[in-house]
Amino acid sequence: MSAAALIRIEGVAKRFETASGAVEALRDVSLTVREGEFCTIIGPSGCGKSTLLGMVGGLVSPDAGRVVIGGAPVSGPDPRRVATVFQDPGLFPWRTALENVAFGLELQGVPRARRRQVASDLLGPLGLRGFAEKYPRELSGGMRQRVAIGRALAIDARILLMDEPFGALDEQTRTLMGEWLLDIWRRMGKTVIFVTHSLGEALALSSRVVVMTARPGRIKSVLELPMPYPRAMESPDLVTLRAKLWSEIRDESLRAMSES
Amino acid sequence: MVALALWEVAARLGNPLLYVPPSAALPALRDVLALRSYPDLLEHLWLTAREIAAAYALAVAGGVGVGFVLGGQRVLGRAWAPILAALYAVPAVVWYPSLMLFFGLDAASKIAFGFLLGFFPITLAVLAGIRQVNPQLITVARSFGASRLSVFVKVLLPGMLFTLVGGLRTGLALAVIGVIVGEILGSKAGVGSLINHAYGLARTADYVALVLVTLVLIVLSDVLASSIERRARRWTT
Repeated sequence: MSAAALIRIEGVAKRFETASGAVEALRDVSLTVREGEFCTIIGPSGCGKSTLLGMVGGLVSPDAGRVVIGGAPVSGPDPRRVATVFQDPGLFPWRTALENVAFGLELQGVPRARRRQVASDLLGPLGLRGFAEKYPRELSGGMRQRVAIGRALAIDARILLMDEPFGALDEQTRTLMGEWLLDIWRRMGKTVIFVTHSLGEALALSSRVVVMTARPGRIKSVLELPMPYPRAMESPDLVTLRAKLWSEIRDESLRAMSES
Repeated sequence: MVALALWEVAARLGNPLLYVPPSAALPALRDVLALRSYPDLLEHLWLTAREIAAAYALAVAGGVGVGFVLGGQRVLGRAWAPILAALYAVPAVVWYPSLMLFFGLDAASKIAFGFLLGFFPITLAVLAGIRQVNPQLITVARSFGASRLSVFVKVLLPGMLFTLVGGLRTGLALAVIGVIVGEILGSKAGVGSLINHAYGLARTADYVALVLVTLVLIVLSDVLASSIERRARRWTT
């Protein structure tokens, strides 16, 4: 509560022209994310979660409103402040794990020896020690996503945007990756905006959960999760929260289902 | 040796003028290489090599340039690709008479023909290569602040490298064919004109010798192409 506002999303809206007509992805969304927060955005498919994240990352420009980070409006990707991890890890297949992690530093003109050192130091906490020279095709899905997270961490931006990063992983790997990410988040003091479909993931990781409505995406409700980590999913307050969160999301998911 | 012996026997059973036996081809080759049959052979070869180099350079510049311009614009690229493919499918030799009219009998028409043949596979390879690159990689690069140039050098080029290099090699082979065929069809100089000359005078042993020399020339150009390929691979990693 006490931390300062780092990201202010101010009344953003977005429409997309598609072959079957215009789609209103977001309508008048405002949200403030505080420094050091783990803020999860959850909502039905197609509710504009990824679009919203894209606006914070500077990849999508809003039709109306704006995003302000640390007092400066976002006008395009700014890797000094924001790093993004996508559901499709998007690793460069011709680069080794180490070279993938070093990609952002390479773009910033960091000398080769230095960026390899930084990337190499990250592989340990990523659980990828010994995999530095492996190519993406030689890594498991979970490892690939950790390389992508390492690539985002390497540029040392304060803000980490994660767009369903574990969405393509199996349940067990997903849970373990969540635990690992919590550890990284707490040690590195990042501000995280995390997009997910998964209630369990949202409850286990977030300090705050933002529920979005079905298309056009608006903010339906915001839940604070002050419980300490690691969280036991069967504890009474989490069970209560889960029921509350589900009732919020259920209506929206039903609406999204009936529309599609 | 067995193959040579079979060739000898087969040629002698038939018409030795049509099926040149090694006993005739090898001395002819020796005379050709010793510059006895054609004292100015080296000048002809040098001219052909320069024509090929010029045709290929133009084909690479044109093919890569047009490929990226069309490939960079989705709609335009999609509209042009079938037209390019259709033009590529037309036997290119039908254009040659008009090239001779435009460019004359000298090197320019050979260069133009070599360019024409080499241009299409390179352009089509660039278009195919661009489509092959996972768009997610471009999104990722942009999110890390990559400029248009960085996206091109660090994502597009390495992502399409195999297709591009394949097109460049095909383009070289076709540029070589274009130049030599152009020389054979009508010219006063170049190794193709010597081939045509030997053939026209029924000097079939010389003809076979010249074809062998030309083969070596083509193999050398492919060696050059594979060294370009290795360089390109080193450059992108």
